[in-house]
Amino acid sequence: MPSMLTYISRRLLFSIPVILVASFLLFWMVRSTFDPCVKLRASKDVEAVARCETRLHLNDPIPMQYLGWANDAVHGDLGQSSRTNEEVSAMVPRALWYTVQLIFWGVLISAFAAVALGVYSALKQYSVLDYTFTGASFVGLAMPPFWFGLIAIELLAIMPKQWLGLDEPLFYFVGLHSGAEKGFGADYARHLVLPVMTLTVQIIASWSRFQRSSMLDVMSADYVRTARAKGVPRRDVVVHHALRNALVPLVTVMALDIGALFGGLIITETIFSIPGMGQLFVRSLQAGDAEVLVVWTVVTAGFIVVFNLLADVLYGVMDPRVRVT
Amino acid sequence: MMRRTNVSWLAALLASALLVAATNGIADARTPYKAKIPSGGTLVLGASQEADCADWINLCAGSSWGQWTMQEQTIPRPFNYAMKKGNWTEVPSPLMAGMPTVKTVNGRQVVTYKINPKAVWSDGVAITSDDFAYTLNQIVNGEDILDSTGYVNVDKIDTTDPKTAVMTFKAGEPFASWRTLFGPSAAILPSHILKGKDRRAEMADGYAWSGGPWLMSWEKGVAITLTPNPKYWGTKPKLDKVIFKFITNTSASFQAFESGEVLAIYPTPQLDAVEKIKEGIPGSRATITAMTGNTEALWINNEKPPFERRAIRQAFARSIDRDAVVKRLFGDIGVDKAVQTLNPPILSRYSDTKAFAGYTRNLKKVASLMKGEGWAKNAKGFWEKKGKEMSFTINSTAGDKRRELTGEILQEQLRSAGFKVSIDNMDAGDLFGEVLPTGDYQVALYAQVATSLDPGLCAIACSENIPGPLNDESGQNYQRINVKKLDPLLETVDVDTNVKERIRASKAADVVMAEYMVSLPLDPLPNIFLYSKKIVGSVRDNPVLSPFWNMNMWGLKR
Amino acid sequence: MTGKTPDHRSLVDSPPGSAGPSGMIGSELVPSASHAFDTAAHASPVARSQWALFRRRFLRHKMALVSLGVLAFLFIVCFGANLVAPYSNTEQDLLLGPVGPRMSHWFGTDELGRDQLSRLLYAGRISLKIGIAVALISTVFGTAIGAIAAYFGKATDQTLMRLTDLFLVVPAIAILAIALERFGSGDTTIILVLAGLFWMYVARIVRGEVLGIKEKEFIDAARASGASSTRVIVRHIVPNIFGPIMVNATLGVALAIVAESTLSYLGFGVEPPQTSWGNMLSQASGYVGTDRAYLIYAPGFAILITVLAVNFLGDGLRDAFDPHTDRHQ
Repeated sequence: MPSMLTYISRRLLFSIPVILVASFLLFWMVRSTFDPCVKLRASKDVEAVARCETRLHLNDPIPMQYLGWANDAVHGDLGQSSRTNEEVSAMVPRALWYTVQLIFWGVLISAFAAVALGVYSALKQYSVLDYTFTGASFVGLAMPPFWFGLIAIELLAIMPKQWLGLDEPLFYFVGLHSGAEKGFGADYARHLVLPVMTLTVQIIASWSRFQRSSMLDVMSADYVRTARAKGVPRRDVVVHHALRNALVPLVTVMALDIGALFGGLIITETIFSIPGMGQLFVRSLQAGDAEVLVVWTVVTAGFIVVFNLLADVLYGVMDPRVRVT
Repeated sequence: MMRRTNVSWLAALLASALLVAATNGIADARTPYKAKIPSGGTLVLGASQEADCADWINLCAGSSWGQWTMQEQTIPRPFNYAMKKGNWTEVPSPLMAGMPTVKTVNGRQVVTYKINPKAVWSDGVAITSDDFAYTLNQIVNGEDILDSTGYVNVDKIDTTDPKTAVMTFKAGEPFASWRTLFGPSAAILPSHILKGKDRRAEMADGYAWSGGPWLMSWEKGVAITLTPNPKYWGTKPKLDKVIFKFITNTSASFQAFESGEVLAIYPTPQLDAVEKIKEGIPGSRATITAMTGNTEALWINNEKPPFERRAIRQAFARSIDRDAVVKRLFGDIGVDKAVQTLNPPILSRYSDTKAFAGYTRNLKKVASLMKGEGWAKNAKGFWEKKGKEMSFTINSTAGDKRRELTGEILQEQLRSAGFKVSIDNMDAGDLFGEVLPTGDYQVALYAQVATSLDPGLCAIACSENIPGPLNDESGQNYQRINVKKLDPLLETVDVDTNVKERIRASKAADVVMAEYMVSLPLDPLPNIFLYSKKIVGSVRDNPVLSPFWNMNMWGLKR
Repeated sequence: MTGKTPDHRSLVDSPPGSAGPSGMIGSELVPSASHAFDTAAHASPVARSQWALFRRRFLRHKMALVSLGVLAFLFIVCFGANLVAPYSNTEQDLLLGPVGPRMSHWFGTDELGRDQLSRLLYAGRISLKIGIAVALISTVFGTAIGAIAAYFGKATDQTLMRLTDLFLVVPAIAILAIALERFGSGDTTIILVLAGLFWMYVARIVRGEVLGIKEKEFIDAARASGASSTRVIVRHIVPNIFGPIMVNATLGVALAIVAESTLSYLGFGVEPPQTSWGNMLSQASGYVGTDRAYLIYAPGFAILITVLAVNFLGDGLRDAFDPHTDRHQ
């Protein structure tokens, strides 16, 4: 479908300047606010500060510093972190991998839970369970996520361990593996439960509300009424007509939200000691590590762009009424 | 010009920045562990911070947690530290064949290290005087070195005998604090592995060799794993593995300890930590000690009005009930008295531990001191002079709840004494990197951390070290303390190799500092080590090396 | 769901019925593209009877009414704290220290022996102020940008929408940390920064709504009668999309209060001696599982109740503004 390809490439092309401007703005703000050589200033080696400033070109105007970085980046050198001297090209993918795992499980679970809750609530509108789900989702949205995380740890990991006199908690909450464990086995699963729960509570709450209202809309649409009037069984109507159509808006919202999640789940990563994008960001920010932050911004903005595009394309593909041009 | 090591300042910066109090002393004198220590097992511990790099002599290192979790476990050092007759003192480490000696030959200081003939690196190559010489060369000639104080005074290291390093200082440049050289916050590096290579690149992200009981591997952001060094010549580790997991979030680290996910934590003495210890955590032991290397104090800028006047500094000191503050913060763990010297508690034998005891809260005294300076109380109850109300700002590090609360208590006490105080908590990098060096503050609340057992406040209290053109603006007397009587005393502490003379001068200096009220000591930031009863063996805190210093003597109960 | 065609030139387009992505720090600061903004009120000319209809529908929404009462109560006690609070905001009792709830201190005292109830009331001022100010500023600004973009279209639309894209792509926390570093951590900084994070969502919704009604006859009529663009926007367009704007503004209050507490936890919130609920909650978070846990409950439930009430209120407003609600009942 050439028109689709043209559309996608045009969208991607147009997004490049925005990403570049964003990365420049961030570089500029970080450089003019935080001092990457601050640690050296407390040392008495006066030359160390001077060397640091020379190495990072801090005496050049900030736009020149940015261009210097961009020039290197074009030639495949993303630079070194001014905080750890490590290659940025190693640090960002490493952090991204952790965040991707969280997003994958979080989204998978949220999607199933939200659709199930949303559809049930819509079909049994104003039932006791509908009210319960609505109330629960409002509470989920109203709880500061760090509060939820800490309480979840206390209630699900620590208290059962103490009451049952276990040697180890049922669910772990430090990192994604204990000790020397690797892979995706039981140990991994026991580490994932609490962070994924903390991460998904708000997502499930909002997606299920969304799914409920879009399902209600679809159920009252003319074609569904017509189908019912023609005597198509309710079950068939719900599954083949209503659900299919009601999923269209949810899928687009999901794509948008997922794109934004790559910016890191700072709270989840902080509470559960997971060294993902959010933690990398916070640590780099406080150290004035503009080198890392610029790459970080380009990567996360890239995900936002791609997932937004995906949202629109999916919308075009799934909804026969909309054609991309 | 003699200046003391600035490591303590870098450490103070990092420690305060990231909420870590540095070292640990031990208050409880439990009998040594007698039963047989079991072999095997994996011990998982919590680490509150991750180091930025593992190139220990580089400026990117300088992290207390980096030192405790990696450096001490893999890098040999000349001294260990032990409690003797109530005082912490240096003892030779397993690297040494005996106590290193110091003498003066032809007016030059000469230090001799006799290396243990059994001492080898993990590849089996002997640790030799070449390694000392290589390290010295790297520190003196390297770029971005964490601290070269003292090393630059060295003329040469004689390596004729591979098992004896003879270090000769330059004429007229003795270094009384020589025991800090190659110590736990510096290093002795393997010349045969690193020579001719880019040391920084080889070490920054971790290294596979070791000259200590453990070999390390570092998974960035996740954990440090220590496995026994089979070639270690001292007590071989019993455990199969020690894993330090990075848990930077304090409440999460407590929960991880309670749940048994990690078996020991070494938290900062925050109030929630204190509360949990008071209530007790099943299956655990807590070691709390006030004999630390820390001095948390109200550091006063002696040049900044209104504190350029001694009487005002004294009035300030007499407005505060320091014992009440300390009791409120640490009373539940048994620390309820303010410290009375600017020297850290582990240097008590060099300190007059009663020097500041006269500064108790006494509002009458405040009134007479203030009136003597021409101030009178206005309608709002604040001191006023020529229409100008007395007000000042206390700076501290942001994100530290205990300090925030301390600030609020001080604010309230000073308010009732007639001082209008505002609190400005700022990023630690800014406080230590900018505000203190430039002197753009009045009072600052932070802790100074000693990283060795060597005294000497000259670096932070001698007038020659006030930041200025004489020292390229790099002096560390951030308090701008300028007391003529004090300088010779502190210089003696720095230069004299006679221990008795150092003690006398140091105690006399304490008294002078109190007399001029140059700054107000507050508390020792007690150290807290929490560990599971599953850990057996000689679990001992160490004020210089942390409680993790002898994990090769620990075992894990099944 | 209104089936508007996505604007294909936009970088971070909103799909129909949603307001755009959640902001750069994921679901934790700005919950979700779908949350709060799934309003689908349909515009139609304002008439007096509409308001009567609105009032009738709103009054039917029990939870919204209760919520309004709760919010009114919270407002009175917090902003009247100097009259109602049993103790002063700063009065310490170091000898007493932290004690649990009792007759003299209903919610107990904190580490410095300060009355927790009084502190809660004074902190509520800051929290509510942040919530309302953020909602107000982001709504006004976002509405202006969105309406102007949609009304004038073409280059204006392009420019303004690229601007909102830019704001969506630059990491929110970075802007915040930088602003706090430069201007200090007062409530004003936090209000401005949070408003700076939220206005784009309002702008997107308003733009969509305005696109939907700008070709309607009554707008044409206004234009034909010689009204200036400003007048058309302010007098004719905005009143007709007042529903979605109001709903989003209410929910903005809730988002801002939760976001502020999250920021406090990350060390970017208001700092003592200023206190907000979020600040109290994050400061006490280490006490989970101890006898001091009462220090967590009070601010936690204050946030929970306020945000719940605001959300129910928004729900009531949505139903009242949306003529389609009747259909579902």
